[in-house]
Amino acid sequence: MLSLKPLPLSHNPSFLHSLTPFTPPPFPRTQTLKPSKHASPPSAIQSALQWNRKPELAGETPRVVVITSGKGGVGKTTTTANIGISLARLGFSVVAVDCDVGLRNLDLLLGLENRVNYTLVEVLNGDCRLDQALVRDKRWSNFELLCISKPRSKLPLGFGGKALVWLVDSLKQRPEGCPQFILIDCPAGIDAGFITAITPANEAVLVTTPDITSLRDADRVTGLLECDGIRDIKMIVNRVRTDMIKGEDMMSVLDVQEMLGLALLGAIPEDSEVIRSTNRGYPLVLNKPPTLAGLAFEQAAWRLVEQDSMQAVLVEEEPKRRGLFSFFGG
Amino acid sequence: MIGFRLLKAVSDSVSSAEGAAADSQDEEVVTSDSADDFPADSQDEKVVVTSDSANDFPADSEDEKVVATIDSANDSPDSKTLVVVAKLQAAISPLSPFVSSMKTYAGCNSKAIWLSTATAIFLFVAVRVYVGMTQKSKHNRPGTVADLVRRGQLRSDRRGMYAQGISSLKYEDPFNNPYVKLGKSNSTVEMCGKVYKLSPVTLTKEEQATHQRRRSRAYQWKRPTMFLKEGDSIPPDVDPESVRWIPANHPFATTSSDIDESLAQTNVYQKHGVPFRIQAEHEALQRKLEGLQQDQKLNKFFIDSDNAKAYERSLKLHPKSNEAMDQNPSANQDGNSSPSSSNSSSSSFNSTAPSDELQKP
Repeated sequence: MLSLKPLPLSHNPSFLHSLTPFTPPPFPRTQTLKPSKHASPPSAIQSALQWNRKPELAGETPRVVVITSGKGGVGKTTTTANIGISLARLGFSVVAVDCDVGLRNLDLLLGLENRVNYTLVEVLNGDCRLDQALVRDKRWSNFELLCISKPRSKLPLGFGGKALVWLVDSLKQRPEGCPQFILIDCPAGIDAGFITAITPANEAVLVTTPDITSLRDADRVTGLLECDGIRDIKMIVNRVRTDMIKGEDMMSVLDVQEMLGLALLGAIPEDSEVIRSTNRGYPLVLNKPPTLAGLAFEQAAWRLVEQDSMQAVLVEEEPKRRGLFSFFGG
Repeated sequence: MIGFRLLKAVSDSVSSAEGAAADSQDEEVVTSDSADDFPADSQDEKVVVTSDSANDFPADSEDEKVVATIDSANDSPDSKTLVVVAKLQAAISPLSPFVSSMKTYAGCNSKAIWLSTATAIFLFVAVRVYVGMTQKSKHNRPGTVADLVRRGQLRSDRRGMYAQGISSLKYEDPFNNPYVKLGKSNSTVEMCGKVYKLSPVTLTKEEQATHQRRRSRAYQWKRPTMFLKEGDSIPPDVDPESVRWIPANHPFATTSSDIDESLAQTNVYQKHGVPFRIQAEHEALQRKLEGLQQDQKLNKFFIDSDNAKAYERSLKLHPKSNEAMDQNPSANQDGNSSPSSSNSSSSSFNSTAPSDELQKP
């Protein structure tokens, strides 16, 4: 039985670019599990571990992805921040849009709260240009943040969704090039904020937790997304407690998938490091050494790039104890 | 304990053994086995051992008794056999006091021994039963996934790996990754100090389509095209289902919509130059400043042409009035805000530059 030990990932984005042509090193440093691709690449790449190559971008750019859930507090903003930074670290240009009008917090997770001076409302009013409202992350220059509004300002009624459509269109035409990913952090609920956020999206990532309340809301949101014409919907199950699943106190990831009927993008284990990363303003995926949740976000970002989904999930097993007291039935 | 059992077995083989009566103090041991081996005459020879738990049997007296018994049988044809038996008995007889004392001791503590043995067995069985019950009670404990099945939220027959059993997973390595070795019989992976098992995803395309059909029947939703505040009336040609009502305190609600839609679109698409509002404010301010400067110039010009002569005449005719006006220069300067008022401008002009006018031809 092979023992897997996650090692620190490289933060240098040029590391992956330097691996062209795609030849894997003989001894991989990190061993992670990833389902095989649908296409049939050369056997050398297929047998290599996935982190040794840059994921191949599938679909048309820009990939406009809305990250939604329905129920609040399940981890939409955390998912947006971590997947966004993971994509930027993989070398893709990313624009993250915080569409939560009035309850803005994506900037807090990214540690950019002091650099947000202009928002989309100021752009609409003519107080600034769009490029002046975009906040570029100093850690990863290919990651930019745009907030919809400041807490006290209001977005005019009626053309909230249109404003996002104009935004996406304007980003396509900007001189420095079209971003490859536009991640939209959707607010909770299914009211005007949700409708505005999903307007320009082509695909959706549904974040849910393995509890019945979250699943019911997620099912409703999935129905609304499909009514609005968004068919490419994948699911991330967040805050998975493998110990509770083992004790039959929590639904398993496969149970969740059975209820919702959606392809699985990722299963993120419960991790206290999420709170610490929020406190620091430092996304979880940048931790050294990486945590299990950070690795799971990385893998989810990988699948998002390649439009892939999970084919199997890891279920924690209790290691077999062989000792004097094993005959007691332990 | 083991040693005692061995000695007890030996004593039983030498003398006839009865059931170990715990209460009895005295025992009469009759060698039933030895009686069979001995000839008929030797039945007369009985080794009577009186055991007393309180007293150790004196060995010497035992030997004397045995010797006396043996001596009496030396002359018979089976004397050699008897001698052998007697010698055997003599060898064992020193142990008999010890055995008898042990028996006494055992008799007193056999109850305790049996009790402890029974207790150990009982504890063992009880623990096994408890562990078994505990494992079974997990299914009956409130708040488990079984409750969801009971409420109909989760179908038990379509549950994932737990319904199918974890014992054997019949699938090939889904990752096709030679660096991750999974045993064919035991597909486990150790990662970060924990042991995991791979469980394949069982969702099929047909099941996905079934869920989509279910949702399309359950959730009929039309994208709203009009957002109205509470209290607004619905326009006559608008479908009521496409209207979304926004509460007045919602961040999307505004008291007035000052931004024109086309203007907003233009602002979003702007790539270079000064933003619209900044430009507009700048231009407005610029116009205001220019206007102020124009007014000042006009005021200056207007005073020169109209009031110069009047001033001269007033100076000549009314020297006292000029003194009064000189005493109130501040009031005249404060009233010089409006360029249209010629009187104030004339007075200010008079107060500020009388010498210049006097010097002009």
